Amino acid sequence: MSTTLERPALSATRKADVAKDKGTLTRNQVRTGWALLAPALLHSGVFIVIPVVAVLVLSLTDYSFGDTWSWVGFGNYSELFRDVDFLASLWHTVLYAIIVIPISMAISLAVALGLNQKIRGLGFFRTAFYIPTVTATVAVATIWLWIYNPGSGLANGFLSLFGFAPNRWLADPGTALGSLMVVGIWQGLGTKIIIYLAALQGVSRDLLESADIDGANRWQKFRNVTLPALGPVQFFVLITSIVGTFQVFDLVYVMTRGGPGSETRVLVLDIYQNAFQDLKLGYASAETVIMMIVIAVFIGVGRLLQKADTND
Amino acid sequence: MTSATLPAVAAAGKPSAFRPGRILLYAGLVIGALLMITPFLWMVLTAFKSELEILKFSWLPGELRWSNFSEAMQTAPFLRYFRNSALIALGETAFTLVVCTTAGYALAKMPLRGGKLMLGYFIVLLLVPFQIILVPLFMIVKSIPLFGGNNILGQGGIGWLNSWWGLIIPLGAAPFFTFLARQFFVSLPDELAQAARVDGLGEFGIFWRIMLPLIKPALITIGVFQIEAAWNGFLWPLMITTSDELRPLQLGLAIFSQNPAEIQWPYLMAGTALATLPMIVLFVFAQKRFIEGMANVGIKG
Repeated sequence: MSTTLERPALSATRKADVAKDKGTLTRNQVRTGWALLAPALLHSGVFIVIPVVAVLVLSLTDYSFGDTWSWVGFGNYSELFRDVDFLASLWHTVLYAIIVIPISMAISLAVALGLNQKIRGLGFFRTAFYIPTVTATVAVATIWLWIYNPGSGLANGFLSLFGFAPNRWLADPGTALGSLMVVGIWQGLGTKIIIYLAALQGVSRDLLESADIDGANRWQKFRNVTLPALGPVQFFVLITSIVGTFQVFDLVYVMTRGGPGSETRVLVLDIYQNAFQDLKLGYASAETVIMMIVIAVFIGVGRLLQKADTND
Repeated sequence: MTSATLPAVAAAGKPSAFRPGRILLYAGLVIGALLMITPFLWMVLTAFKSELEILKFSWLPGELRWSNFSEAMQTAPFLRYFRNSALIALGETAFTLVVCTTAGYALAKMPLRGGKLMLGYFIVLLLVPFQIILVPLFMIVKSIPLFGGNNILGQGGIGWLNSWWGLIIPLGAAPFFTFLARQFFVSLPDELAQAARVDGLGEFGIFWRIMLPLIKPALITIGVFQIEAAWNGFLWPLMITTSDELRPLQLGLAIFSQNPAEIQWPYLMAGTALATLPMIVLFVFAQKRFIEGMANVGIKG
């Protein structure tokens, strides 16, 4: 009893002391904290935040590096929707995303599930699947340019073993975009596999075991235990894949420059050419804004799909 | 005795060794791994071939022409490109380490008002793709005051275009790395800092002498990721460099392969092999760091 009575009195004076001490300490910490944070804030402000705002403003102008420019309202936007090059780029980019994202996510998940089976040589397999990811896209594109070479490339050479007729791959309007997608999928597997693998190791063993006891088969365990547990990670992989596929540029620049015709023209290539070859910065900015909106729509749809999937 | 133990041994041994599912699994993984590695293998094989040998499809070179590598180095200033890429990678990594570890520490351990908001700010920025900002970023870099003949208002010259500054600073210190550093600092116990405070160490001293050394693995992870990103960068150098003096390797490679009619594939593959090798070696040695880093961001993020 007596201790409980004494305690408040004691701690009151103590608290005051500590609070005073803590006050100067905290002030010191706050000052140091902001000082440590300042360079990153300044850097991100100048090189990310201002550009994001600027792109919105620029998109309403006809700025082109010259001294004079004027507001054009939504003129750039209405012009864009009559621009066949832009429409082709938008279509190819969306198509690229819609095909590359689900295929590469499915393959990555399958490989990660395989690697999660306590197999021998995990290090070797992990390295093999990850090496294309650490390799520069320009180097990857250069290698595949040679693989797709119609005369003496590996693709035709390999397929001729099975009696297939040679294909012109990147030079053929019918296969050019598909050929690029193959490389995009091939290069992007590594990161996703690593992330899935790490997530799979966090799936509760207890749940899997109790599913075993309940007599669930492999598919049921995957569908009802593993897949729901991967939810947040799936979303992370989805978002990074959407952002990544919309950024596709190096691959196209090196392998096709958007050709044949404009069969493989993609958004960033179109933006790059409008901005830095035709010097239409306002126009290119409007194009960028549309790209942002499309990415946002994709992420929104992805989120809805995921929600619908976890609810059923 | 024997009749009782034998079936048990067989039952225990069988699943891991001879189950058909297991064989299928390995077969699938091996085919997948081959699909990943074969293009690189073919790159290396091509690099040793002669101009004549590549006119027809073949796997192995008749002889190993090591001279292709040295000749490739002479057809384009690859050595200079190498040096440029290395300088950019080092500069960017040093800059990133300083800016992102300090910011990450402040976000993780300092009682800042609005700290949560700041963390949210960096996470949102992490999602902004570089391609979105490339047009205005170019304009900002062009109008950095007092550089490249610019006046104090950033007009009249070229700013950081065509300069090491321009190649290194804007793309360094990505929010991704600030976030990554923060994730590592958060897991350190606060008691360490408290004890150091009692010993009279200042706040910056606590960061520099106590906390920073404890996240050495994280520093390596950040370094490895940043080196890879800088080494593999293409679009930004393509936009802001006009002279061969500053061009990095990937840009050199792309220029080398731009004239389809005149491409000398063995040389190009030799150059590509040399350009790829450093990152593959880096990955093989720092594999654990890459994987930890990816897993950390993917799962905790």
